[in-house]
Parts: sequence; C-alpha cells; structure tokens
Amino acid sequence: MSDVHYAPLPVSTKSHKDSETDKYHTFVNLALCLAAITGVELVLVYLPFNATFIFTVLLTLSLFKFVAVIAWFMHLLYDKLLLTLAFGTGMAIATGTFVALGSLISRSNVDLDAITAF
Amino acid sequence: MSDTATAHHDDGHLSLNNDNKKLLMWLFLGSDCMFFGTLISTHLIYRKIYPESFDPTSLFSLELTSFSTFILLMSSFLMALAVSAMHKGELKSFRRNVLGVIFFGLIFLGCQVYEFAHFVHEGLTLSTNTFGSTFYMMTGTHGVHVAIGVFWLICMYFYSHTGKMDAHESAVDVEIAGLYWHFVDIVWIVIFTAVYLIEFI
Repeated sequence: MSDVHYAPLPVSTKSHKDSETDKYHTFVNLALCLAAITGVELVLVYLPFNATFIFTVLLTLSLFKFVAVIAWFMHLLYDKLLLTLAFGTGMAIATGTFVALGSLISRSNVDLDAITAF
Repeated sequence: MSDTATAHHDDGHLSLNNDNKKLLMWLFLGSDCMFFGTLISTHLIYRKIYPESFDPTSLFSLELTSFSTFILLMSSFLMALAVSAMHKGELKSFRRNVLGVIFFGLIFLGCQVYEFAHFVHEGLTLSTNTFGSTFYMMTGTHGVHVAIGVFWLICMYFYSHTGKMDAHESAVDVEIAGLYWHFVDIVWIVIFTAVYLIEFI
C-alpha cells in the first residue's frame, strides 16, 4: 500500500480569493453596463428612427443583457457544459415554440377566427 | 490510508451531490423557460391577432418599468456578490448583500402592485379583454416568482444566523438560490423588451 503514489494536485497560480476578487470587478463592470443598456433602451424608443431599426437594436441589446446575466452572474461561463445543455434545451424549445407560433399566425391563409373561436 | 480514502470518498460524494443539486436547478430553470416562453408567446400572438383591441401606450409608464428593470438588475448584481461572499466564507458580507437583494425584490414587487392597481383603476382587469388576460397572467406569474425568491432569501438570511451555515457546505445552496434569482431577472429582461418597449415603437 505504501508504494501507491498519488499525482500531485494541480496548483493554481491564483488563490480562490483572488479569483473571487477578479469576479467582483467583472460583476461591477457588468452591472454598470446593464444599467447603461437599460437607459439606452428607454431613450431609444422615443427617438424618431425607423421602427425596424429600433426593433433590431432593442432585440440585440435585450439578447446581450440576457446572455450576459446567464454567462457571468449565473456562472454558466465557468461551469460544466452539461449545465449549459440542460438550460439550452429548455431555451431551444421555448424559442422554437415562439417562432413556430409566430410564423403560423403570420401566414395569410390561416383562419384566425377558427383558432380564436376557442 | 483508510482516512485518506474516506476523505477522498467524502469529497467525491459531496461534489457529486452538489453537482446534482446544480444540475437539477438548471433543469428546472430550463422547464421554467418553456413555461414563460409559452406565456410570452401567447401574449404577443394575441397582440398580433387583435392589435386594435387595446392601446397600452396610454397606460404603460416606461419610466416606472425601466426603474423596476434597473432595480431587478441591481438585485442580480448584489446576488452575485452574495454568492461570491459565501464562496470566500465571508458570512457578514453575504448577509449584507442578501438583505440588499431582499430590499430590491420588495421594491420591485411594490412597483408591480402599484402598476396593477393603476391599471385596474383605469379599467383594465383580467377579464376586460385578451390583452388584460394575457398581460396579468404573464406579469403576475413573474411577480409570484419574485415573491417566492424573496421568501427563499429571507429564510436563507435567518438560517445564516442559526450557526448551522458554513461556507463550504452552504455555498452551493446559496448559489442555487442565486440561480433562481438571476433567472427571474432574465425573464424580466425579455418581458421588458417584448411587452413594454415594443408597444412604443
């Protein structure tokens, strides 16, 4: 039994506390960024730009906020791929449902009265 | 050797449990995504089918909703700090940040109650039209999620005073509560854009 040799544990160049301090700075920057984006969104809807342009920008900003919170605040960036898959599956189904319903309703040959009769 | 083996086994066992807890939470959040996806889709599709049924721009207060969004984003920031503090074993910092999250959560709920009361006063109820039904259903469900989150964090705050909470064991529990809270935040990010801002374009 005494001949058994264990591989040395990997020594991190940064301590756990240093890593958490780095995260603190990331969180502060992200929070400021998210607050600024919310302000931009609010101003944007009152500006006299093309509706499609505003819609696209709002969608992009919203998507950025969504992904940023998941990646950094929810630690998905630092966690295992399995967790991303677990959440991604639900997200994919939710998005798929929305896109499918949206495209179904957008078709001109759909009898909306028959659908809404229920 | 046996001590080492036990320690290794214990660590492995603990790690497996913690991983399972996190995986379960992420699976739950994935399913909740589908739930909210359906509610938001229903609202948007009924808006498309009956665009003339109701004009919410006269009723919505973008300033109030933006303030609520800001509050929820800042609460997410504090929650991230609370999780980080727990990982560092700083219980006092954890408590301070969690109290901040609870406070911001209550402000958000207060804003939502005020908004609902204002809408009802203006004549928009759950049964007024399809807009009222889908809007209250969607934002109300989100509000219930926020209320559950606040209750969860209040329990966690008081639990931290019992002396049973140690940094190593409880860090994952705090992280799981944090995941739930951040999820509530990302759902609101979508609702804010897809339900409120879109109406003003």
